[in-house]
Amino acid sequence: MNRRHVALIAKKELRGLSQERTILLAILLQVFIAVFSSFLMVGLASLYDPSAISRTVTVEYAIGYAGNESPLLDRLEAAQGLAVYRMNLSVAVQALRERRLSAVIHVPDTSPGGTEPVKLTLYTLQNDITASVLNVRLKGVFEAYEAELRELRADRLENRPLPLRVPAPRGGEFFEFVYGLLVPLLVLMPAIIASALIIDLVTEEYQQRTLETLLATPVTFTEALWGKIAACLLLVPLQAGAWLVLLALNGIRVAAPVGIVLHATAASAVLVLLGALVSLHYRERTSAQFVFSTGLVVVMLLALAVPANPLNLIARLSVGSAGPDHWVVLLLVTGATVLLAWLTTRYARSVARAFLEG
Amino acid sequence: MHPVLTIAKFELLRSAGQMRRDLVPVAAGLFVLLLLVTGFAAQSGMHLSDGLYTIGVDDPALASVLAKDPRFVVYRADGPLLERERGTLDLVVIGGQARAASTPRGQAAEKALRQVYDAYVASVYSSEPDLFAAYPLWIDTEEVRSEVDFSATASGQQVGLRPGTAPPTPEGTVEPLAEPPPGIGVTADELRRELVRDAASDDRLSRYTDVLRNGGGGEFRTPAQLSPPLPFDSIVLIFVFVFPLYFTSQFFMMAVMNERIDRRGEALLASPVHPALVLLGKGLPYLAGMLLVSTVLLLVLGAPLVILAVLLPVILFFLAAALLIGMTARSFKELSFVSIFFSTVATSYLFFPSVFANVHVIALVSPMTLVVYALQGTPITLSDYLYSTVLFYLVAGVLFYAGVRNFTEERLFSQSRPLTRIREFIGSALSDRHPYVSLFLLSALLIPFVFMAQMMALTLFFNLPMPWSILLLLVSAAFVEELAKSLGLYALFARSGRFRSWRVLVPAGGAVALGFLAGEKVLLFATLAQITESIFGAVLFTSLQALWMPFLLHLGGVLIVGACVLAGGRRGYAPGLVVATIVHVLYNLAVLRGAIG
Repeated sequence: MNRRHVALIAKKELRGLSQERTILLAILLQVFIAVFSSFLMVGLASLYDPSAISRTVTVEYAIGYAGNESPLLDRLEAAQGLAVYRMNLSVAVQALRERRLSAVIHVPDTSPGGTEPVKLTLYTLQNDITASVLNVRLKGVFEAYEAELRELRADRLENRPLPLRVPAPRGGEFFEFVYGLLVPLLVLMPAIIASALIIDLVTEEYQQRTLETLLATPVTFTEALWGKIAACLLLVPLQAGAWLVLLALNGIRVAAPVGIVLHATAASAVLVLLGALVSLHYRERTSAQFVFSTGLVVVMLLALAVPANPLNLIARLSVGSAGPDHWVVLLLVTGATVLLAWLTTRYARSVARAFLEG
Repeated sequence: MHPVLTIAKFELLRSAGQMRRDLVPVAAGLFVLLLLVTGFAAQSGMHLSDGLYTIGVDDPALASVLAKDPRFVVYRADGPLLERERGTLDLVVIGGQARAASTPRGQAAEKALRQVYDAYVASVYSSEPDLFAAYPLWIDTEEVRSEVDFSATASGQQVGLRPGTAPPTPEGTVEPLAEPPPGIGVTADELRRELVRDAASDDRLSRYTDVLRNGGGGEFRTPAQLSPPLPFDSIVLIFVFVFPLYFTSQFFMMAVMNERIDRRGEALLASPVHPALVLLGKGLPYLAGMLLVSTVLLLVLGAPLVILAVLLPVILFFLAAALLIGMTARSFKELSFVSIFFSTVATSYLFFPSVFANVHVIALVSPMTLVVYALQGTPITLSDYLYSTVLFYLVAGVLFYAGVRNFTEERLFSQSRPLTRIREFIGSALSDRHPYVSLFLLSALLIPFVFMAQMMALTLFFNLPMPWSILLLLVSAAFVEELAKSLGLYALFARSGRFRSWRVLVPAGGAVALGFLAGEKVLLFATLAQITESIFGAVLFTSLQALWMPFLLHLGGVLIVGACVLAGGRRGYAPGLVVATIVHVLYNLAVLRGAIG
């Protein structure tokens, strides 16, 4: 194989991409997703997260308390951000309907230490943000009251869980979502784009009937194929790197960027070579894309089901808790790449022979 | 046979003929493999966030509890040793007291520990013989429908009055309400089953944050289950529905593209059938396939078939977009990139609002929210349906119309740059004889797109803190409107030198402004009442209060852009847009201030 020929083809494909400006679209997509996921997080945080809400919302919620006196009343009155009124149930629910209250709690006449459970009824407004915000605030009060009732009934319990005191939350709500899910999936996206691209580049030569012209040059079929593969693979570290920069701009810094890019590139190489093999076989975009995408789901599921898979290692590298064993996995993936590369070359040669013989 | 059916049959036969013979067996093999791998993955679990945290524990019993969670790498050692090694660990537990490193990872480890410990405590208590000693407190949630218009609070305002010292007194008549009975009327065993089921559904995906937590199943909840009801399972199902649709629309995209390779489409172009019928026939097999796939999915999942009515506009939208993408892409690469881009944007538009299905009206922007409702058993009203699907129907219709108008030799086999092509596609909707009438119609037809883009901006921005969300929304809404208004005018100017004159500018601008206003009025009147009543609506649609003011605003915007293009040629377009957007924003700000203050 002539290395200059391979480089020539790779350059040609990359130039084609930049001329078509489709690469701009890919970059735009990255920025869009980055913006979108950060918005998603801000939104979810402010809607669902208790600590985020208590930081931002300083409003007092008016709550109606109906039914029996109970220690819960004292707990509610002591809680921050709640204004509790003792009221008649019917009046309170009507006030809730008119939005003069945010919720109504009814406490029945059940003995705290008895055998029957204490059943509270919580009236909230349907389809309202306030209800969710309030639920989060009330949850803490209810849990404390539950613990109190449980102590009253403790003599009827057979087993107690091992004691453990964990300090109150101080943040870190989205750490795992970001590093354990978002970072690996985002870094994987370039791999999927690259493998879709190789299928396009190969099948296009067949379907646009440009293969004969290409083979009329001194470049061999195998060299042309490797040029295309090289062009696709070159894009992966660039895109993965761009992700890491974008994430850093969003305030999400990863611990070991070099390791992440290496793993992403090696995993992409496997996918790109699989894509090349599939498109050499089908020579037609629809079938090749269909078979490849289904195969991709199989490969991804399989990888995720195995411990210490590349995606997991990317997550661990991003939080800085990967041991040196990630090099072993990188070596294994690279081994698989070499094997696939050998297969691809052999297959390309036999395809070229068949093509020349007619 | 009807020509549409003939073309549909031809399309089916040809796509079957193009396949290699081994495609069907290979696909079947892959499907079996997929089932096997899914089974394996379900058995061994997803190992995505294994080994993220290191934790040192002195109690062996507790260590074995924590070791069940693969996120932790657990070290068991004695207290003094752990104390010395604290710096190297994310979390240490000595004598039943957890202490985390003060790094973000330490905090996250602490949160994970809390989750694991809570689950462990729940597993101990839910197997207690006396369930009501372990879980003495149960909460029954009753939802009350507000009598006040609910879009007020849903747009971010707080409930009613600032709490005073005396309890509030209602104005309306108080209907006597029966005291809820003290008992719960459910046996302890049923509740226990519910608790166990809830613990099992708290799977690996949902543990990423408390955010993705299922709200708990039954009617009665323990305090721990009292989190906002996020329809997480249903949201996952959205992907189950949308992904196959997107996949099938890819085939249609490719079929359209194939017509343009080697000028194969000549035969279809030469046929005496109207292009609309040709395209309908070509799309029919894919439409039928998508409906079939959806029906099968619904039947397999045991979901209500009403969902089909919700998916139909989404399917039409996907197909219409696929048609245009297939007609414009110049190469396979471009097809891939454009379709990936389109699917990402469309999926976010569909997915994102439905996260808030149980919380906020904004959710109804996406038809997928209706899917969530149908799965939950929440009734869907006709106005809900119209509200969340009408944009999809309209946009699909306009896109299809654009496809039909441009189904000509000149457009199909052209290889000009994407921006030029978009201009050409818009330009072919304009008639030479009646340029003003077609400008009016074009502007009215662009309204659904403008609304869709603005809704997209709304879903993006409504999460930000208040002044930012309004400000960004103002700017983006103004920009989208100015862009849409200028498109037709720009296409007209680019079409021929005859139109590129100052004499044309004013009547053309008037036609655009009128068309825009008419389209806005009609569509808003029909659908978007709920959003328009909120503060976000006020920002998006300020220009709708009186008629002549917004007309002047629209006219002004078009004239600014048009004048810039006439003066500076193509280079004048972008600066013209910026100036028009600034003017538009200032106008909106003035109206808003007047409306608020």
